[in-house]
Amino acid sequence: MTSVPGTPIIQTFGLSKRYRKTTAVDDISFRVEPGQVFGFLGPNGAGKTTTIGLLLGIVTPTGGRFELFGGRSASDLHAARRRIGATLETPNFYPYLSGRDNLRIVANVKRRDAAEIERVLDLVGLGRRAKHKFKAYSLGMKQRLALAATMLGDPELIILDEPANGLDPEGMREIREIIRGLGERGKTIFLSSHLLSEVERTCTHVAIIQNGRIVRQESVADVTSHGVAGLRSADLEALAAAVAEYPAARWSDRRGDRVVAELEDGDLAALNTWLSGRGVHLSHLSLEARSLEDVFMEATGAAEGHAAPGGAGDTGSGSHQLGDVP
Amino acid sequence: MWAAFRSEMRKMWKRPATWVTLGLFGLMTVADLIGEYRRARKDPDDPFFLPDAWSQILGQEVMVGFIFASVLVILLVAAEFSWRTARQNVIDGLSKTQWYWAKVLLIPVLSALFLALRAAIGGLFALAGTDLAAGAELFGTVQLAALGGMFVTGTGFASLALFAAVAIRASGPAMAVWFAWFALGEGLVVGGLGALFEGLRPILKWAPIMTFSRLRDYIQYDPEALRRATELAVEQESPVPELEALGPAFAGSLLWIAGLLLLGWLWYRKRDL
Repeated sequence: MTSVPGTPIIQTFGLSKRYRKTTAVDDISFRVEPGQVFGFLGPNGAGKTTTIGLLLGIVTPTGGRFELFGGRSASDLHAARRRIGATLETPNFYPYLSGRDNLRIVANVKRRDAAEIERVLDLVGLGRRAKHKFKAYSLGMKQRLALAATMLGDPELIILDEPANGLDPEGMREIREIIRGLGERGKTIFLSSHLLSEVERTCTHVAIIQNGRIVRQESVADVTSHGVAGLRSADLEALAAAVAEYPAARWSDRRGDRVVAELEDGDLAALNTWLSGRGVHLSHLSLEARSLEDVFMEATGAAEGHAAPGGAGDTGSGSHQLGDVP
Repeated sequence: MWAAFRSEMRKMWKRPATWVTLGLFGLMTVADLIGEYRRARKDPDDPFFLPDAWSQILGQEVMVGFIFASVLVILLVAAEFSWRTARQNVIDGLSKTQWYWAKVLLIPVLSALFLALRAAIGGLFALAGTDLAAGAELFGTVQLAALGGMFVTGTGFASLALFAAVAIRASGPAMAVWFAWFALGEGLVVGGLGALFEGLRPILKWAPIMTFSRLRDYIQYDPEALRRATELAVEQESPVPELEALGPAFAGSLLWIAGLLLLGWLWYRKRDL
């Protein structure tokens, strides 16, 4: 199976998966173009892993369909898997085998030369620990081995499910660097995560999923190009209440000692005038860059009237989880 | 398929459970045959030499090897679901068909391995008491036929084990279910149904374990061993050995093996990984 130029790498059409009374994935449609680093962002239990399972053909859809490299039949899917490197949930390896032996198994399945094993081990910095058993690895090493396995065979599409899960900040930074490097080499990457900072720092495009539905998808550059208003006042309660009622505010959120809001018109002066008319006097008013967190709050409708965890600029910690959003 | 089978061999070779089960069975075999050897040295009327010793070497104790082989099949296959490597193998590019049938190929390998271990250790022990100058045939078509029949028995037990492993997808419960059926369940079901419906008895005697077990008795293959066993039975006034018709037992076993493997395949394929 070869790709026709211009064909999306992944395209889904109303894809759904129901388990008896639960709908894990509900009529989702999205497309991933060649070369994109596509973030699939959502809280734990939103349907990210099920969606990946559907794309990889290990979960059977109950509705809709999908195409990988333009192919949609079962044989196309089998052929497509040879062009994909993927991990699902936790790194899945044989605990009694060494890292190198585990990669030998993967290389054998992918029909790749054993010499390639050393290359990918070096890429993820596991060369010196490759002879140790997988069960003795730290979580960070397991994640890196999983990355190495996905890179075997130089796949066109790399699918990573929560690759930074459970890692410390240093481990997250390492994984992020590896993923960025892959993106810079032109690989198409589909990255599922519940970590806002991970997606914001790594991805070129994002789809936000909640309760099995995609609530928003666009490029990360578009997401963050619009600003949000940052406001402070001596009476923060009154400020928050007033901003929440402002007609042009798409959403507002109280964060620490300030209130942030996205304005439809971006007109800060009009907002200031409106607040003054309600007896709320500002000590600070500025236009701030919108973070992915802001977009998530807006898209999921969770922002209004609720305090988000951490501040708007808190995405750099690498531990900001969507699962915490009420 | 062969690439997948090569991976299976590598995994089996490196899995400690393989060496633990083989080692344990080897030790049990050595302990058993030391007993035979010492008994033969004390009693010149009951010697332990080839080819007559094959009836002891390939006796009931071979069954223990088949139990170990079946347990190992469950450990090798069911663990793949717990570790999620079954799913990862498919993600990496194996088809479900390749994954399953590579596991199926483990069955004859393990059955042959445990059978060969018993035969090799036993053959070596018996060789020590054998007068090689007498020129008797130490291993012939009789032994080969017996090994073939027993191999089918072992393959049958292990096929049932594979079915339990892919249906239950967890080593402990799969082993418990397999062993319960092997040791007790089939007997209870056959006995119960036979008591309730007398007309079913001719069919019930073809239950899987009973069918496979019909091929395991060495004296069915060796007329000389059968003669000795009959003489001993007459001398001790105990029931003379009953011979099973090997052809139907062989066909029945192959049908059960094919059925169990196919059922396991359908079950495995139907469920999401």
